[in-house]
Order: sequence, then structure tokens, then C-alpha cells
Amino acid sequence: MARAVKTQRKALNTAIAWGVGLLIFFPILWTILTSFKTEAEAIADPPVWFNFHWTLENYVTVQERSNYFRHFWNSVVISVGSTLIGLIIAVPAAWAMAFVPGKRTKDVLMWMLSTKMLPPVGVLVPLYLIFRNLGLLDTRTGLVFVLTMINLPIIIWMLYTYFREIPSEILEAARMDGASLKEEVIHVLMPMAVPGMASTVLLNIILAWNEAFWTLNLTAAKAAPLTAFIASYSSPEGLFYAKLSAASTMAIAPILIMGWFSQKQLVRGLTFGAVK
Amino acid sequence: MSTKASRAAARLMISPSVILLLGWMLIPLGLTLYFSVLRYNLLMPGDNPFVGFENYSYFLTDPGFTAAIWNTLALVLGVLVITIIGGILLALLLDQPMWGQGIVRILVIAPFFVMPTVSALVWKNMFLNPVNGLFAHLFKALGLEPFDFLAQAPLLSIIGIVSWQWLPFATLILLTALQSLDSEQLEAAEMDGAKPLSRFWYIMLPHLARAITVVVLIQTIFLLSVFAEILVTTNGGPGYASTNLTYLIYVQSLLQYDVGMGSAGGVVAIILANIVAIFLMRMIGKNLEA
Repeated sequence: MARAVKTQRKALNTAIAWGVGLLIFFPILWTILTSFKTEAEAIADPPVWFNFHWTLENYVTVQERSNYFRHFWNSVVISVGSTLIGLIIAVPAAWAMAFVPGKRTKDVLMWMLSTKMLPPVGVLVPLYLIFRNLGLLDTRTGLVFVLTMINLPIIIWMLYTYFREIPSEILEAARMDGASLKEEVIHVLMPMAVPGMASTVLLNIILAWNEAFWTLNLTAAKAAPLTAFIASYSSPEGLFYAKLSAASTMAIAPILIMGWFSQKQLVRGLTFGAVK
Repeated sequence: MSTKASRAAARLMISPSVILLLGWMLIPLGLTLYFSVLRYNLLMPGDNPFVGFENYSYFLTDPGFTAAIWNTLALVLGVLVITIIGGILLALLLDQPMWGQGIVRILVIAPFFVMPTVSALVWKNMFLNPVNGLFAHLFKALGLEPFDFLAQAPLLSIIGIVSWQWLPFATLILLTALQSLDSEQLEAAEMDGAKPLSRFWYIMLPHLARAITVVVLIQTIFLLSVFAEILVTTNGGPGYASTNLTYLIYVQSLLQYDVGMGSAGGVVAIILANIVAIFLMRMIGKNLEA
């Protein structure tokens, strides 16, 4: 009897949760569906759901008309590049703060975090002028630099919280056994730090891929990543929903998949360890 | 444990990060402050004379500024209220036993990974458009007049779009916090005859207080800087109806080329963000000691 009630409640929960979940996911689902329609079907009233002529035409058109893959590649270079450079700078810093904490380590960490609190628009003017004078406007190099600096505090913080969970006794034991610093890092620390580093990389690629203040303000046609390229669809030219959907689907698909893999680390990364 | 030598090595390892971040912060900040007291417009070449606080008084008395401050407040508070209440409800729902919990979780989290320009354009065209949008079809099917959301209620529409993007973040963090709640405590309360509502009010909510604060503070930092959503949907209009502080400064500096005025606005934005930041830093700092 009690079990039947439990099953009933579980079924009710399931129904409500799936309903709400699908409702929240619906705009994404609708975008994906629309990307396979013709432009006429995309705006049909009443809307067509699944019974339309599935076509890949929009994907072909988007690539042909606008050289889509160049912008896709810009996104890849900018997000992966800035994350890897950030990682190279951050690993030593996070390692040192986690394992050789000094009196001021906490202050340094907090100060690094405070640079994240600076609203980007507060430094828009000088950065724009510096970029213009150095010829960095609309270049991937310029954007990689900016995004590295933006995400560096997050990378350091995430790595720091991961490194701190590695018991320092293990490192001491290795040192006792006569391991050099290099051996200690490569053979002891690295294997334990890899999972934390992987999720740091994943989250930062996602953040850099979706960054839409600097990418919109510092690029034009040449170095524009997908955020800026998609924004160019905001001026409507006749029927274009299906093409917009195709361009959008390709822009969000890789990050959606990566995001689902990193959902557990997301909480730690975005709250700087305040919620785990 | 740490010797003098390892201390020195540690300092060496930290210094590249510190030097880079210091430069990243101080150079633009110094320039913003400097430009903000000059009459400096890129359309008018020549001297850039020192004008004291002229830019500030123009910026602060500009009708756009008052509108932008109210819109910024409405945007931040509106999205916070929707995402916190929605997030708590969703977290409670997702915490229940059900079939396919993992998949539902994935569906709910997905909007967070959609880039701002895509979500804004998809909402603008495929949902809110008064002729071809899904809402227009729905209204017509119900026998109602189609509503031009972005023209009639631009700020509310943007609040809706941004809430859709941030609801997953709030849900995910509140769910994480909820799952760390000691279930024995809840069971004990249930045995003692506490009703579901009072269990929520006296046990769950106090437990969630910390996570809610974190969500509020972090979201506020990001919501103060909402930009792409406004740029691709309304361009801040009609008039100033959906211009927030970030967008106003963007218009003044990059569309009207007024470096001095834009910089003064930038300083104002920094001061506002810092007020929030101080509280956030305290929260996180406390956690660091624990």
C-alpha cells in the first residue's frame, strides 16, 4: 500500500518535472527543428512540428553565403587559445598558493578575484583606443589576450580549490623518498591534478566561447567569432528564420555537449568555491 | 614546512599572474580616470583640454542616465526575483525521486550554455515577433490580438530573455546546496509532525540562505553588464526604454565617439559594481577560512 503511494508520487513528480524541463528546453528544441525546415515552413501558421520536409539546405546556404566556418574557427582559436595560455600562467601560481601558502596568499587570491568584479564597460574606452593604436582591433591575437585576462582569475581559483584537495602529505612523502621538484610535479602532482585541470579547461572554453561583450566590441568582419557573427543576423532581410536557426544550432551544439559534461564543475567554478 | 627557498620559488611562480592582472587592471583603470576629466571626442581632433568634472555633470544630468539607472535596477531586480523563486521551486522539484532525473537536469541546464546573441535573436524572431513569432501564432489561435513585445514592453521582454538564461544557474547552485542538506534532520522533523511548508520554511530555507546569497551576488555582477541581449533585440529603445548603464556608456563612447563622457560613465559603472563586489568578496573570503 505504502509502496503504491510512493510509486504514484514518483510518477507525478516525473510528469511535472519532464513537463517543466521540456518547457525550459523548448526554445532550443524549436531552433534545432526550425533549422531543418524551409523558410516557408519556418514561419508557417499554424506551426509545423515534425511533419515537414527535413532538409540540410539551410546549413549549406549559411556556409556558402557567409563563410560560416571561418567564424566557427575564430571561436575555436579564441576560446581554446585563451584557455590554454591562461592555464600555463595559472598552474604555477595556483600550485604555489595551494602548497606553499604564505601570510598574504589569501589577500592575493581575493585581489585576483576582485579584478573579475570590474565591469567591462568601465574599461571599454581605453581598451578600445589601445587596441586601435596597436592595430589589435579585429584580430584574434587581441581577443585571445583579452579573454585570457578575463578568465585568468577563474582559472587560478578553480585550480587552487582543486589543488588544495590534494593531501600535501603525499607530496612530502615523495620528497622524503628523494624525489626532485620536477619528479614530484610530473609523477605525483599531475596525475592527481588532471581531473581538476580538465574541468577547469572545459568550463573556461565554455565561458570564452559565449563571451559577448568584448567579442562584439573589438571585432568586425575578419576576426569575429560566432557570438559576433550571429549578431549580424539582427538586421532582418526577408525570410531568414531557418537560416538563423541553422547558424545558431551549429554555434551552440558543441558548447551544449561540453556543458553537459561539465555541469558538476560549473557550480564550483562559477561560485569560486563558495558552493560545492 | 615551507623553507625560505621554497617561499622564493613560490613567489616567482605567482608573479606572472600578479603582474599581468595588475597591468590589466591598473592601466585601463588609470586611463579611464584620466580620460574622464578631459574634453575628448574622436570626431573633433585637436587638443583635449582638462575640464574637471564637466563630463561627470553632463553624464549624471543626462536624461538617458536617469532612465538607464532605473532600467538597470529593474533588469537586475527583475531577473533576480524570477530566477531565485523559480530556481528554488525547480531545485525542490528536481530533488524529488523521479524517473529520468539526469535527463531532466540536462534539459533545465541547457539555456545557460546558449550564447547571449543566439538566445536573444531566437527569442526576438521566433517567439516575440508580432507577425511570425510563435507567441503571435498562439495569440491568434486564442482569438487575441498579437502583441508586439519588444516595442510595447521592451524591458520586460529583455528581463524575460535574460531570466531564461540565468534560471539554470540559480537552479543548479540551489540544487547542489539542497542535496548537501542532512536528510536525517528532515526525517526527524517529519516524524515530529512538521508540515511540508514549515519543513521548507524552518529547515530548507535557512540551509539555502548561503547559496541564495551567492547566487544573488554573482548574478548581480553579471546582470549589471548585460549588453548583447539589448544590442541585438532593441538597441536600447524605443527611446531609452531598454537602455541600461552598460549600453548607455557603449552608445556614448563607441557610437558617439565621446571618449571623455564614456569614461566618466565607466567610472560611475565601476563604483556601482564595487558596492556589490564588496559584499560578494566578504562572503567568499569567509568561506576561504573555513
